Amino acid sequence: MANQVEYKRTKAGSKIAKIVVDKDLCIGAASCIAVAGTTFELGADNKVVVVASGGADAADDETLILAAESCPTKAILLFDAAGNQIYPK
Amino acid sequence: METFKYLIVGGGVAGATAAETIREHDPAGTIGLVNEEPYTLYSRVMLSKPGFFLEKIPFDSIWLKNQEWYQKNNITFLGGKKAVGLDTKEKTLTFEGGDKVGYGKLLLATGVCARTWEVEGAEKQGVYYLHALDDAKKIIAAIKTAKKAITIGSGFISFEMSDLLRMAGLEVTAVYLEDYYWQQTLDEVSGKMVEAALERMGVKLMRKSAVAKVLGTGKVEGVVLKNGLSIPCDMIVCGIGAYCAFDWLKNAGIAVNRGILANEYLETNVPDVWAAGDAAEFKDIIAEEVVQEGNWVNAHEQGRIAALNMTGTKEPFKFVSFYTTQGSGITIAFAGDVRPLPDRTIIHRGSPQANSYVRLLVVGYELVGATLINRTQELTTITNLIKNNVDVSGKLDKLADPNFDLKTLL
Repeated sequence: MANQVEYKRTKAGSKIAKIVVDKDLCIGAASCIAVAGTTFELGADNKVVVVASGGADAADDETLILAAESCPTKAILLFDAAGNQIYPK
Repeated sequence: METFKYLIVGGGVAGATAAETIREHDPAGTIGLVNEEPYTLYSRVMLSKPGFFLEKIPFDSIWLKNQEWYQKNNITFLGGKKAVGLDTKEKTLTFEGGDKVGYGKLLLATGVCARTWEVEGAEKQGVYYLHALDDAKKIIAAIKTAKKAITIGSGFISFEMSDLLRMAGLEVTAVYLEDYYWQQTLDEVSGKMVEAALERMGVKLMRKSAVAKVLGTGKVEGVVLKNGLSIPCDMIVCGIGAYCAFDWLKNAGIAVNRGILANEYLETNVPDVWAAGDAAEFKDIIAEEVVQEGNWVNAHEQGRIAALNMTGTKEPFKFVSFYTTQGSGITIAFAGDVRPLPDRTIIHRGSPQANSYVRLLVVGYELVGATLINRTQELTTITNLIKNNVDVSGKLDKLADPNFDLKTLL
């Protein structure tokens, strides 16, 4: 899809290597922020962005998956280092 | 009679999240998930969003959990079953038709009902509510032929629907009782900004207006307002709030006010019975008041916390509720307790001229709530200021300065 923003994740021991926010799908419901507020925040356009300073590495894997699962539009995609999609399955 | 260690009434985000969380903490305990709708978890939020509503994305993108997920997690999905009776001594739940199931621990995550529009002729074909998936399907079908629509109410359903109906090419008139849009929650400055956005979308606004009668023989043909004005239309969407009688729970001895009453652990007055989601009227330990919230994020978090408490953890629900909506080129966000009660000091941050405006509600030394128009980038920070009870006394002039970085207060 056209309007996807990718964030590299380099957290030690993490299975998740990349976080993708699909800005076409994101509606700013902000449930991901409720679950993982250290990683996600809203931008001025009411779409989610990953917190610039270390946000991609801030949450543990479980929290990140929970945050993605909580999204009512499945706008957060998680990938492992080999490029396999972890969520949504 | 089948008995579940954990029985959840309600298959929305609160109930489904609770089921998932219970399974994480109790791998073997039996879980039954009752849902009045036949559907597995879907995104209720998406029902009133352009992608889904205008059929720009596949219908199936609405599903968040499928049957396979419930099976894999060993959760018995009891779809299409309406709970009508509860016996908290025998610990049984009765369905419409008389079937019963037993429970060890019960979670009431029933959601709420769309408030019924009590107007002569409101039963006519073409009067819609947007509550569940089947409602959305009916409206999506109706807009294919309808030319003129009326929305009733000035809250988020009517706001989103007015925008969507315009996007679908209909003429739209918004009819509401209030002096300005969203008067129950927003101040006049914010409400007028929302109205200006709707007008830019071509929505005709009828303020301080009530419908006297719905016209039409069988099918909606228009309305007559109490001031005598007639407005033709071929469909009406009501968004006038949520309400549930909860009589079946009252009869079972569950304490009910506007919602199902619960403490900060989301326990009801009856042992082994919890409440979560839109239906719960709970002790908010941040606001120090009993409140009821109606939004996805709150329901998700309550489902999780209720499940933790049902599986033996003792964890209070401590959460600053917030939600956002967008449409007609404007974004609106609410955080915390936004009721304009007399003891609130109101701080204005930004202005309509700048097209960016926040209203901050302060009680004593701390922030309790905020409404944000076109300024959602500050939502997270404001939520954290509320949650952490940050002392803002002596800093009110800073709060009012739109160029002051609120993050520095954290």
